[in-house]
Amino acid sequence: MMKTTKGPAVIIMKELCKFYEMGEEVVRALDSIDLDFMLNDYAAIMGPSGSGKSTLMNIIGCLDTPTSGRYELNGQNVADLNDDALAVIRNREIGFVFQTFNLLPRLNCLRNVELPLIYAGVGPEEREERAAEALKQVGLGDRIKHRPSELSGGQIQRVAIARALVNKPSIILADEPTGNLDTATSHDIMEIFGKLSDAGNTIILITHEEDIARFTRRIIRLRDGKIESDSRR
Amino acid sequence: MKFRETVIQALSSLAVNRLRSLLTILGVAVGVFSIIAVMTALDAVDKSVESGLTSLGANTFQIQKYPATVFGGAHARNIYANRKDITWQQALFFRKSMENSARTIGFVITSQGARAKYGNIDTNPDVVLTGGDENFAASNGYAVQEGRNLGESDIRYARGTAVLGRELRETLFPAGGNPIGATVKVNGEVYTVIGVFEKKGAAFGQSQDNFVLIPITRYLDHVDEKSSIAITVEALSRSDYPHALDQAIGSMRSVRGLGVTMANDFEIRTNESLIDSFREIKIAISTGAFIISFMALLTAGVGIMNIMLVSVTERTREIGIRKSVGAPRRSILRQFLLEALFLSLAGGVIGIFTGIAAGNLVALQFNLPPLFPWVWTVVSLIVCSAIGMAFGLFPAWKAAGLNTVDALRPK
Repeated sequence: MMKTTKGPAVIIMKELCKFYEMGEEVVRALDSIDLDFMLNDYAAIMGPSGSGKSTLMNIIGCLDTPTSGRYELNGQNVADLNDDALAVIRNREIGFVFQTFNLLPRLNCLRNVELPLIYAGVGPEEREERAAEALKQVGLGDRIKHRPSELSGGQIQRVAIARALVNKPSIILADEPTGNLDTATSHDIMEIFGKLSDAGNTIILITHEEDIARFTRRIIRLRDGKIESDSRR
Repeated sequence: MKFRETVIQALSSLAVNRLRSLLTILGVAVGVFSIIAVMTALDAVDKSVESGLTSLGANTFQIQKYPATVFGGAHARNIYANRKDITWQQALFFRKSMENSARTIGFVITSQGARAKYGNIDTNPDVVLTGGDENFAASNGYAVQEGRNLGESDIRYARGTAVLGRELRETLFPAGGNPIGATVKVNGEVYTVIGVFEKKGAAFGQSQDNFVLIPITRYLDHVDEKSSIAITVEALSRSDYPHALDQAIGSMRSVRGLGVTMANDFEIRTNESLIDSFREIKIAISTGAFIISFMALLTAGVGIMNIMLVSVTERTREIGIRKSVGAPRRSILRQFLLEALFLSLAGGVIGIFTGIAAGNLVALQFNLPPLFPWVWTVVSLIVCSAIGMAFGLFPAWKAAGLNTVDALRPK
């Protein structure tokens, strides 16, 4: 294992490739990536559009599988699992935060945060308790009965973070989490991520904004499907 | 995910698009309604048909120009209409030739819509005017309650005498009193009441007691001389019944002057033939209802599929979100399948209840007791479930198979 600084590795990627066929042409979205993430890492993946960062994020999040190479999550090789097995991994190991929030508009905050627990088979009472706790953690303890449409952008993203937290995942994966927010709100959100990191969570976020990336402790830059640089602070 | 959660999810999704769900449900409801309504009504009628149609007396059959029911429209109708009437002369010849083969032979002519009058009491024009002979009462199961029946001399001399049905007696003599010897007018003709029949009750909601019986000879002389006569034959005994039937057909053929190669130009009505012809009607109606319902349900099923496909497209993002937080394929599949199932079952339940209500309304019209068609209810629920499942499967399968990354991508 390389670049081991502290703690055991949560994610190990070896010669990871993802190719897309676009007609005659083969697009090398990810070209032989070697990358590890340690427990309590707080990393930003950066790169211009087309650099492969979204593809990498989808593979890390088990939404997609690599064309070749090895991807170990918590010691389990997930590179060639089927759709349903990946769903179980997503449910237990990964908390997503999306740029477009992706809450269900019909459900109130509590029900939205409960969603991963429903699929984990947690009973209604425990579910409610844990969802309320997660909402309290992001500072929305008094908004649990509100629907997303009754909240501001920053608040909605905090609900989404609560949803990502609620299943106590191995990693929290955030795809441009501040992309739809103004600067002040963005910094609020980044503060929450900072606190979560201090609490021991492993966080990977994707961004193309330098001032957002500066909140993290590690910056990985991608270009043309390859790692251009990987620096820790 | 637990089944209960899936049910709640499916129901709340349907609740969001209330109007759309309702219209889809309506499609199923119409299909189920038509079959349940028809079957309830038919079952109700069927319950009373045996007693209602056994109007002829024991060991009795009737020879007539027309069959009990005519299938097949104008052409079929014309075949019977073009037959020659059974005349008084033919009837008399027939009786002569059957003299030793039957216990009684009665003649009868009926016409509907007569109006009877006594003093200043006038009936509606719904009285049945029957021209008959002394055997009419026995052959048709009427017993004399007051006074006397028609006698042979009434027939021979074409007397202006009349025996009243129980209901007509009550209409004309509401205060009770003694009707015997009273003078009543029927369609302007004057008759002297000589008797009253006992109440026979209703068949198919039709009273069988709102009639007046006059001598058939009087009928031919004063009411209508060109009527086809129905001949009622009572066999000597139960065992002699088939023999009497054969003999009657032979006699009638010779009376009507039919050659050996010619078909009968008259019909034999028995209690069995009446019930049989009802069964024929019943089968025809239920087959029709079944086909219509099947078509309607098929259309409703296509409607369900259509609406579910729209729903899947609209909720692509939702599906993506659910999958991203760990929903397995089967959970998505189950959710959409349940939605389709609820739509069709809700339609089914509405159709069943409105259908039963409508069917029983028909039963009520015929004075029949209400009933609950268990078999058809269960069949409908099963068929609805099958339709919901069958037409919901493809959209649900499509939803479950969506690629999570594509589903989450903003449009």
